[in-house]
Amino acid sequence: MRNVYKYLAYAIPVLVAVQAAAIALAAFGLFSYMDEHTITKGTQPDTPGGIGFMIHGMNGQFLIPLVAIVLLIVSFFAKVPGGAKWAAFILLDVVVQVLLAFVSFGAPQLGFLHGLNALILFALGVYAARRVDTALATGPAAAPIQAAGEGARA
Amino acid sequence: MRHKDRVRLLAAVLASIAVVVPLGLLWWSSLPPSAYSVMDMGYADYGGGPHDHAMGATADGSGAGGTVSVADLTEHTSRPADVLVHLVARKQSVRLADGRLIDGYTLNGSTPGPQITVTVGQLVEVHVHNESVPDGITVHWHGVDVPNAEDGVAGVTQDAIPVGGDFTYRFAAPHVGTYWYHSHQVSHEQVAGGLFGALVVLPKHPERDVRDFTALAHSYDGIPTVNGRPHGTTVEASPGQTVRVRLVNTDNVPLLAWSDAAYRLVAVDGYAVHDPGTVTGRTVEVPAGGRADVQVTAPADGSATRVNVGPSTWLTIGPAGATSRPVPVPDRALDLLAYGTSAPLPFDPGKPDRRFVYDIGRRVGLMDGKPGFWWTVNGHLFPDMPMFVVRRRDVVLIRISNHSGVVHPMHLHGHHAVVLARNGVRSTGSPWWVDSLDVDDGDSYQIAFLADNPGIWMDHCHNLEHATQGLVTHLMYEGVTEPFRVGGPSHNHPE
Repeated sequence: MRNVYKYLAYAIPVLVAVQAAAIALAAFGLFSYMDEHTITKGTQPDTPGGIGFMIHGMNGQFLIPLVAIVLLIVSFFAKVPGGAKWAAFILLDVVVQVLLAFVSFGAPQLGFLHGLNALILFALGVYAARRVDTALATGPAAAPIQAAGEGARA
Repeated sequence: MRHKDRVRLLAAVLASIAVVVPLGLLWWSSLPPSAYSVMDMGYADYGGGPHDHAMGATADGSGAGGTVSVADLTEHTSRPADVLVHLVARKQSVRLADGRLIDGYTLNGSTPGPQITVTVGQLVEVHVHNESVPDGITVHWHGVDVPNAEDGVAGVTQDAIPVGGDFTYRFAAPHVGTYWYHSHQVSHEQVAGGLFGALVVLPKHPERDVRDFTALAHSYDGIPTVNGRPHGTTVEASPGQTVRVRLVNTDNVPLLAWSDAAYRLVAVDGYAVHDPGTVTGRTVEVPAGGRADVQVTAPADGSATRVNVGPSTWLTIGPAGATSRPVPVPDRALDLLAYGTSAPLPFDPGKPDRRFVYDIGRRVGLMDGKPGFWWTVNGHLFPDMPMFVVRRRDVVLIRISNHSGVVHPMHLHGHHAVVLARNGVRSTGSPWWVDSLDVDDGDSYQIAFLADNPGIWMDHCHNLEHATQGLVTHLMYEGVTEPFRVGGPSHNHPE
């Protein structure tokens, strides 16, 4: 269960990296399209990096929130000291990130915060994952290496 | 230790339930049922007018006893049709006027479909056959105040016409003007893909010597066209001849038109402007779904004049072979609030029976199980929308305001409303009749209409993408019942 927690937590920075890559692809595709075309208000042109928008949207609206929710649930069972707390911070930050994305369409200035917050989320994921090993090595719970499930079955 | 482990496990399970159950409920409650009547959607809004809890009303929708089904609100005549039209709908690759091949929809093999031209009062009968549109189709007569059963909205006034199916629309053309028809089943895809055409209702005695030209503005795969042709289109006119350009905006966003010549805006949404003055150096804004009849005169010296229909398509009006030159976009727009001169209204908006508020906003939430930044009406997300309830002969006021960040072209089916004021400034020009009204972000319009066409009518955003995102409400007459369902076995999806 601790390993599940660890890998789910590591999945957060990996998925955030995918987000950064996808949106860069989409943005450069859009810039290159704009060099050649005029974009008519309200139309959705088929730009070269258009897939990047789709990846960013699906990953950000569905996959990352899902991972964050599952991480929180796993944290209840995983016996990682402080694990639930940091999983909750991650979920909270994901919610903030999604909200920032939505409101940034109306107020693009907030997109600035959306980009910065992505780095915070990245760091939170790495920190939560690393804590599994470091907190166990130093913390009071270091002694009994026993999964909750096994304890319950016995 | 084992006891402690058990307690711990129990706590973990309870904590998980505490996370999953509220999220699941939130998600589940945002899912619409697989089939529902629009009458069961949201909540009734009586606009301060009377209502019977029993919903009793007379069969004509005027209140107090009896009911009538949407399906029975047809044209009351058995006389033979004056104009008979056959439309066959297909999903197919189609070659546009410029030779481009697109995947789209056709009516009688072409997009736009054939123009239907009738004289006011004539009984029109349109036989529609769906040959190969898998999602099914309908035909909605945009801007024509037809009887409710002929309105062509899947799941509201009929079931979608399946592949191999037929449907006959029958109505007497109630009013002169420029209109259009389009599918109102999966409309955001089918209209964008070309399932539409023009409907022109001529007066009994058309103006002589005026050339009539219909310009359907539509973007196919993002490329703007007029009648399927990108760039320029020549409208032949002899020197000094007047041309009435019937502009129809079939896209989802506002269309700007302008000209290097002086013009008169003679009609809006099919209704004549009273005393339209000559306009120079201004744009005309046509809302999505809206129409504007612009009258220009070909230069007397045999040259041509240009009418821009959006930034990249234009009409060259003059003798064959004449060319027109690019015209920069004027930075001023024609304001219809003060255009033309005032004229009496057919009802008194000073004594309304109902006052509704239609306040468009946007907020984060779940819709159809999907998180997003969704449109709201009076603070509510779809499907928790107001159902505006009226009785026949009510004078109805609606204040439509928008603080959602983007323009919404609001389209009321079955009625024409008159604009009384914008942002508190009263209309001083010609009565400004609309069925499609652009409400810009930050604007608030007061409009009024006479409830004279019983039924259940959509009142929605004609940016059809916004409609799929839930910007849809309905107007309902008391005593009208709804036999159709959104979703269900006919797979009705009006948006």
